[in-house]
Amino acid sequence: MIWEVFRQEEPGDRHTHCGNVHAPDREMATMFAQVQHGRRMQTNSLWVAPKDEIGEVDADDTEFGGTTDKSYRWAITYNDIDASFAKEVAESEADQEEHAEKRGGT
Amino acid sequence: MEPAEAELFRLADDEYVLAERYTEWQIFAPTPESDLALANIAQDEFGHARLWYDLLQEEYDYEEPDLLWERDPADFVHSTLVELETPEGDWADTVVRGYLYDVAERLRLEALEDSSYEPIADRVPKVQGEEEYHREHAQSWLDRLTGSPDSHQHVQAAVDRLFPHALTLFAATEHEEAIVEAGVRTRSLSELREDWLDEVVPYLESLGVEIPEPETVVRSDVLGRDGTHTDDWRELHEAFTASYHELGFDEPAELRGDRA
Repeated sequence: MIWEVFRQEEPGDRHTHCGNVHAPDREMATMFAQVQHGRRMQTNSLWVAPKDEIGEVDADDTEFGGTTDKSYRWAITYNDIDASFAKEVAESEADQEEHAEKRGGT
Repeated sequence: MEPAEAELFRLADDEYVLAERYTEWQIFAPTPESDLALANIAQDEFGHARLWYDLLQEEYDYEEPDLLWERDPADFVHSTLVELETPEGDWADTVVRGYLYDVAERLRLEALEDSSYEPIADRVPKVQGEEEYHREHAQSWLDRLTGSPDSHQHVQAAVDRLFPHALTLFAATEHEEAIVEAGVRTRSLSELREDWLDEVVPYLESLGVEIPEPETVVRSDVLGRDGTHTDDWRELHEAFTASYHELGFDEPAELRGDRA
């Protein structure tokens, strides 16, 4: 039986998937996970979950968001504005450009 | 020999020889996961052996070759439990051996927490932290191996074979009185033996494993602790010193001290 393993580095961090272990039950899975995923990396907590219990929906099954071109939302008529007075504007622009790039650019 | 020195030899030799037997499973354990877990435990035990052997070098002026590589096999004082050859492919043997040893090791370490010999007391907490995983590991396996008739039989056979040797963990030598009197260990071997029996017997019986009556199986011919050993030990000793003799190492690595 395969158990997916999730590691949290520090208290408050998210548990991030880091691999899996073969084990007959939850107790053995936590025991093996300690050695395989907690011994050499800084670890505060590990979760193990049976692979079969994890629900999945992927890009073949559905249309996920984040792919539509939303450049029309950009305030493109305000060209050459010095946005340095508002940090969040610069951040937002950088963010949108980054996503546009990931989509293949517009 | 000083009482603390004698106790250090028992500690170091037990851990070292047990680890040697554990490493024989490398790549042969039942699954990759159990292989890694046992390798991890073996590595811990080697580390503990290193702590105690290093202390013997620092405090009693030994050199590493005197302690391991060039030492007469008849001077090793580990329990015969840890030296026995593992029957081929018999995972239950390793699990039972580990369990019997790990419980004894926990009791011994507790009796060393307040050792009058500070360098030992200082090192105990580090060892204790790791030993806990070892015991959990052994018990988790025992709980499961005794769950099916076939593997239950293997566990029973391993207990029958190993139990008399496990009793040598508590065999006393001429140093015992001095060790307790000096407060190097705060409990005597016979007290530790009682505590150990009080724990392992009810636990194993709760799994449906029969335990021989200790007095009827106790061995007097080979005790390990006095340098008398089984033939398995001679072979193991030859095997683990072979590389040393072939390669001619003269400066082994140290974890603590000037050469670390």
